Amino acid sequence: MVRIPPPALPVRDRRAARALSPMLTRLAEERATGVLVREHGVLYLAEGRVVHAESPLAPDLGVLLTAHGTLAATAWQRAAAQAPDPAQAAEALLRSGVLPTGALELCHLDALYDAGYFALAPSGTPGRFRYGAGPRLGPLPSVPVVALERETLRRRLLLHRLWPDPAADSAPLIRADPAPGPAAALSVTPRQRAVLDRVDGVRTAADLARDLGRQAFHTLVDVRRLTAAGWIAPVPADPAPPPAPPPRPVTTDPDIALLKRLRDALEAL
Amino acid sequence: MSDTATALKQALTSIAGATGAALVDYTSGMALGTMGDSASFDLNVAAAGNTDVVRAKMRTMELLGLKGEIEDILITLTDQYHLIRLLKGRGGNGLFLYLVLDSSRANLAMARHQLRRIEEELEV
Repeated sequence: MVRIPPPALPVRDRRAARALSPMLTRLAEERATGVLVREHGVLYLAEGRVVHAESPLAPDLGVLLTAHGTLAATAWQRAAAQAPDPAQAAEALLRSGVLPTGALELCHLDALYDAGYFALAPSGTPGRFRYGAGPRLGPLPSVPVVALERETLRRRLLLHRLWPDPAADSAPLIRADPAPGPAAALSVTPRQRAVLDRVDGVRTAADLARDLGRQAFHTLVDVRRLTAAGWIAPVPADPAPPPAPPPRPVTTDPDIALLKRLRDALEAL
Repeated sequence: MSDTATALKQALTSIAGATGAALVDYTSGMALGTMGDSASFDLNVAAAGNTDVVRAKMRTMELLGLKGEIEDILITLTDQYHLIRLLKGRGGNGLFLYLVLDSSRANLAMARHQLRRIEEELEV
């Protein structure tokens, strides 16, 4: 009997796979202004450049600025209360001169790349873009979309090299039992020690980052290194009961109706 | 008080023999700013790679129980000097300035001195 190998599965164009979000690439090309909402974060675009990013998984600019005494917490609260968003609060601080320009710029870029990393994480739901005149190019540095995508990919690879299992990135963390021996303790840096001391079986890497006032990605680096060295582990998820099948959405969208007819026809073959 | 771009530009213009400069976050390996000849030398790659140099040296010092802090690290090539200066910022993030010097034109003592001054002005 002659075995005929199955035909190769169709794969996406490699170049297309490299763009983290085809929608974002298109928005950059058309120099769009507005807000891109994705599953794990939000990107603010002005003329096709990223001016600000937010993610529930990353500490915001205020946390990064105030956690280590760069700025008094009251000064940030005052500025944030008077501005519609954190980016404009930062600009107000810049104008008032309470903060050195370099420090603010760097914190702003830290927060942007940090939240951008999560905003561009693979997601199960499509992104939505709202055109609008809100975001604008201000005195704080903006970042080209390609630069943010390149850096995000580099960060993913860096984490993958440290420890290839991403489970510890999002799950509650617990100290490993038994802990590695005293010889291994020498290789835990003071920064990692601060992370390790806060691991309690409840908090996730994002919680630890906020608690420490550090960038979430930096905390992921420490968490993956500590996981690789056997100090911590993600709490295994409970075997949850299988979720009830979601109710079938009623739709009148002609495309979906057509697709359903097509599916029914194919099944009837 | 100066911003990142000004500080890097100052490093290139005021330090004799300087051909490239970058400000690098050594936890993520990201260059927060680069300036200089990008055609012959990818400063982003250099930034990411040199974070490993900094990390290795810091870890060695911890293992040895040395309490001093690293001020700078010098790497001497046949035709270049690479100078890494760690910043003692208030932000709590590890940053370093990375400077590439043409060794035939550079004055190493002067370059180190000027880099220290630029660090003071950067106020990160």
